[in-house]
Amino acid sequence: MKSFKIALAAAALLSVAAPFAARAQSTYDDTQQLIAQIQADKRAVVLKAMALDDAQLTAFTPIYDAYQAERKQLMQRGVEIINAYSSNYDSMTDAAAKGLLKDWFKLQEDELALVKGTAKKLDKVLPTAKVLRFVQVENKLNTLLRLPGIQAIPLAK
Amino acid sequence: MKIASLAVALAVAAFPVLTHAQAAPATQNVKADEQIILKQVMTDKRAVYAQNLQLTEAESHVFWPIYDEYEGKAKKLNDEFLALVDDYAAKFGAMTDADATTMLKQKMQIEKDREVLKQTYTKKVAKVLPPVKALRYAQIETRLDNMIRRDVYGLIPLAQ
Repeated sequence: MKSFKIALAAAALLSVAAPFAARAQSTYDDTQQLIAQIQADKRAVVLKAMALDDAQLTAFTPIYDAYQAERKQLMQRGVEIINAYSSNYDSMTDAAAKGLLKDWFKLQEDELALVKGTAKKLDKVLPTAKVLRFVQVENKLNTLLRLPGIQAIPLAK
Repeated sequence: MKIASLAVALAVAAFPVLTHAQAAPATQNVKADEQIILKQVMTDKRAVYAQNLQLTEAESHVFWPIYDEYEGKAKKLNDEFLALVDDYAAKFGAMTDADATTMLKQKMQIEKDREVLKQTYTKKVAKVLPPVKALRYAQIETRLDNMIRRDVYGLIPLAQ
């Protein structure tokens, strides 16, 4: 299953980003490569799941690619939050915990805003049922992508 | 781990309805299936927090009223979402653009309301508990939320 492969890639991404796993040597290049891999796999899944005709595909692709570019930045911010969390994990101060919460919530807000903004753009060029389908596909995939990482990160102590 | 137990419970709750959903018309009983999952989660969720937050007696005294208030408001949003899924199931296969527009708007609003609610109550928790415990609370909520989403989204067929 393509979505399963994406979930595995997401888990691998987290293992690079966080020193909680055996692969503790985090490098910027490794992270970028894995983000690119996840995005490439995800793009193929989304394009297939959307079941668009040729005209719809032509309209959809540039908007989706712009969306993916913005999501890549959000993923990078997520990795940075996890790295900050792991750096502070053993001696978490109140200030560090507050900062992490703030950054995490801002990331969630920005992710929601990105999906909403992209849905509005798509609604101008696709039937709304297809836009609804896009939101559904994104929700499913992003939940699958997030979960392995969330479960791999130990709770704050 | 209690969270792992809940994951198993979610998977067990979802499995028969998933196989049923594949055999039956796509949207049949989706709402009932979601209600089973949500009911299971609501029953176990409090125990998950109790076990994983490791609150002192004084912390418990201030935390649980906030938690119960949050869950009450979250339930209203869950009910709104179930009503939306019910509407989606009723119109599935014959959805007009106007239907899709309304449902998309409702869906995005529920998502936004959930995020606002989560942030508002995490801030309330952070006022009465040490920030590290508030962070831990947010982590547990995020894990549970994503587990529920994975199972619930798996039940809903894509719009046609």
